Amino acid sequence: MHSLQFSVPLLPTSRFKRHSVRCASDRQQLFNRIAPVYDNLNDLLSLGQHRIWKRMAVSWSGAKTGDSLLDLCCGSGDLTFFMSEKAGADGKVIGLDFSKEQLSIASSRQYLLSKACYNNIEWVEGDALDLPFSNGYFDAITMGYGLRNVVDKRRAMQEMFRVLKPDSRVSILDFNKSMQPFTALFQEWMIDNVVVPTATVYGLAKEYQYLKTSIDDFLTGKELEKLALDAGFSYARHYEIGGGLMGNLVAAR
Amino acid sequence: MVRLSKWLLKAGTGVNKTLSEILVCPLSKQALRVCEEPPSLISDSIGVSFPMKDGIPCLVPTDGKILDTDDTMKHDNAADDSANNK
Repeated sequence: MHSLQFSVPLLPTSRFKRHSVRCASDRQQLFNRIAPVYDNLNDLLSLGQHRIWKRMAVSWSGAKTGDSLLDLCCGSGDLTFFMSEKAGADGKVIGLDFSKEQLSIASSRQYLLSKACYNNIEWVEGDALDLPFSNGYFDAITMGYGLRNVVDKRRAMQEMFRVLKPDSRVSILDFNKSMQPFTALFQEWMIDNVVVPTATVYGLAKEYQYLKTSIDDFLTGKELEKLALDAGFSYARHYEIGGGLMGNLVAAR
Repeated sequence: MVRLSKWLLKAGTGVNKTLSEILVCPLSKQALRVCEEPPSLISDSIGVSFPMKDGIPCLVPTDGKILDTDDTMKHDNAADDSANNK
């Protein structure tokens, strides 16, 4: 048997002044490494606020009872569990991620949390750029802190558009790349002086330094709206939340 | 106890039937065929097998293994045996 190997383009080293987490494989390994402490660090670093933002993201998705739902880049499953509560026993939720370690934790949490409605969740290891679903399958899609980490955001939007039913929505929560100088400065200060030192205690300084680079490389709210419209969505609006530190893109097919 | 059994059963065996009806090949977007042993999903359209690990289908394109003819025949024979035994 032969493995499918996709070659990652080699980039000239002279372009890098620091280590860059460029290719999908690097990012996959990063998320595998942080998996054991991911949930604890989210709680600590956002003072528990991340759960509020995630509930908002689920509300914006329009998910309701009986729906077929998709949570992309589900990680350890926070958004997936909220979507599961919306879908109920007659609905179905797929949690998809490319990190085996994160999915393993998600699956364990499903068992330990033991709410009856969580039986409607299935976990799939997959790639947001090549979704293993047919066209027009899902009633709503969420993506939390995932779009910033995919290597081809345009393609990810196109895949989300493809697998959504007509008149359905995608709700994408992530850090906000703010155009307000004070907000951007505060965000950078938080990462340098709170996030990275905390991550260092867990031996993950390098992994969380990636956060700053990934926000620098991310798109502003206006650029995200354009990305969605270019992918075919008929409506796109980016909402700033969490004092402007976070943003939620809502796009309708 | 029932909950633990159900979780272990899912972790140990192959594909959940409902899930196998939802999933398609990530590359060709065509239907997948379930293989019980080893637990995997076969994309006949491109001749690739995607593994199942702990009850989770692994459908990242680089998880796929190209099936050469012998493997295709083994998977077909296993499917035929399974059908005859029913």
